[in-house]
Amino acid sequence: MVLAVKAVDLKIGYMDEEEKIYWAVRGVSFQVSESEIYCIVGESGCGKSTIGNAIAGILPSHAVTSGKLYIYDKKVIDNEKMDYTGIRGRVVSYIPQNPGTSLNPYETIEEQFYHVLSSVYGYDKRKSVETARRYLAMVELDPDKVLDYYPHELSGGMQQRAAISIALATGARIIVADEPTSSLDAHLRLQLIRLMRKLRDTVRLSLILITHDLVSAGRICDTIAVMYAGKIVEEGRGSLLLTEPLHPYTQMLVDAVPILGLKKPLKSIPGEPPQVGGEISWCVFRERCPVAFEKCGIHPPELYIMERKVSCWRYMNHGAR
Amino acid sequence: MVPGDIIRLEDVTAGYVVIKQGIKSIAREKMVVLRNINLRIKDGERVVIIGESGSGKTTLLRVILGLLKPFNGRVFVIGKDIYSLKWRERVKVLRQIGYVSQDPYKALNPSVKVGTILEEPLEALGISERGSRVKDILRLVNLPENVLNMYPMELSGGMRQRVLIARAIIHDPEVLILDEPTSALDVSMQAQIVNLINEIHRKLELAVLTVTHDLGVAQYLADRAVVLYRGEIIEEGDIDSIIKNPRNEYTRLLVSSY
Repeated sequence: MVLAVKAVDLKIGYMDEEEKIYWAVRGVSFQVSESEIYCIVGESGCGKSTIGNAIAGILPSHAVTSGKLYIYDKKVIDNEKMDYTGIRGRVVSYIPQNPGTSLNPYETIEEQFYHVLSSVYGYDKRKSVETARRYLAMVELDPDKVLDYYPHELSGGMQQRAAISIALATGARIIVADEPTSSLDAHLRLQLIRLMRKLRDTVRLSLILITHDLVSAGRICDTIAVMYAGKIVEEGRGSLLLTEPLHPYTQMLVDAVPILGLKKPLKSIPGEPPQVGGEISWCVFRERCPVAFEKCGIHPPELYIMERKVSCWRYMNHGAR
Repeated sequence: MVPGDIIRLEDVTAGYVVIKQGIKSIAREKMVVLRNINLRIKDGERVVIIGESGSGKTTLLRVILGLLKPFNGRVFVIGKDIYSLKWRERVKVLRQIGYVSQDPYKALNPSVKVGTILEEPLEALGISERGSRVKDILRLVNLPENVLNMYPMELSGGMRQRVLIARAIIHDPEVLILDEPTSALDVSMQAQIVNLINEIHRKLELAVLTVTHDLGVAQYLADRAVVLYRGEIIEEGDIDSIIKNPRNEYTRLLVSSY
């Protein structure tokens, strides 16, 4: 098994003008294999986009890091040092939430391919068009039509696929997509899910999806990591995590999701998640957890149970290791 | 007009006038977005309009809100044909509508405190006892009183959405219209807002018209659904029946894609 991404006790924070650090990611360890679809789910502000930005190498200059992050064999974050040479835009590509913003509105898709491929590989116009045709077909877009289109002439789903095809054409082996399905209508969402699974199988692409859409995550992912307040509280294989959640937070998230045709009561999670800020030495979910007990005053270790990783003291005496 | 109708659209065809500039001439062309729309929302009813991007949902809302005069047809709000009224009269009628726009991050003035945001509509309508009304409405939408001294940027997405809903209903309208009320929220906040809208419907007994592309959310917010596709109503009826037995091919696609 080849590892595409590996994080070891990764912490990411942002420093203000008074040099105070606000930790958005409070120490996470995970790994993503080649040809794996890995989803990070959680509420707004849980740190999921910050992890995506770290993998894509687009953290802002005032970001502070600790721990280690590997992209294939290269250590891109080594405590406070960051080095994305040969990785950013080459091995890893990033697709933002609104694909329209990543495409230049004044250039046709053909011109956008040419700009990227001429700067990365020194391709001339003819070779760039040949490559563009191949990669547009791979994402199920008709090159004869799309090459001459400006981004505004494409639907949201087509823009999303055009952005993915440009990323693939650069030779990216890992794509980080931030909320790729949130701006799409239901049937376009389904098309994109199918496309992502196809790319995983055909070109062995590793996909890291950042989303709050649990339904899409369950459909797309090989592995799902549930984040809360900068920590991964549960991680496990695909839909099993959503059908049989272990961590109280995952259980409450699942209870809040509407399921079509099944009008179960929608249970919201009372209270608000903690803001980004200083270190937390207790369980991050303690304040909102309905089953918290005394031990939750200490941060729980990562426990392995039923092929899943869960960070909750309740499982300490339930066969977890 | 049938008694008990809060909103009624009769054969409405609407859209925009597009100006096409040639070398020597300027031509105006009608771009029709909605075709022959007939829609009734009864007193106290919960209706959802379901449609994907480009189906005409936003244009339909603009027509109902008195912002876009249709090419043909008539729009009644509490029994008044709004586009036949003079502007001042029309505004008086439209006060019976409370409106919550799509994006809670953009719909609130960032430089004004929540207290002022909630008092503004009362002041504009000349309603007295503002302080007690504001406090009552905060209790209804489950917000603490200290938010009155906060700016929108200090609130979470869910809290901003509550402020928007509070502002929309503070003047006691007959109908609450919500445009994609949960699309910018994550699942936990989404559940909170869905439950809140239903609680408001129960307590205030007003009609609720929601526009959404999310069928999962729609089933909680309505008794009746209207499916809009390329500017036409293609299916209408009880929401549970539409989800279980969609008759139209497009509705079937929507349900199967979810």
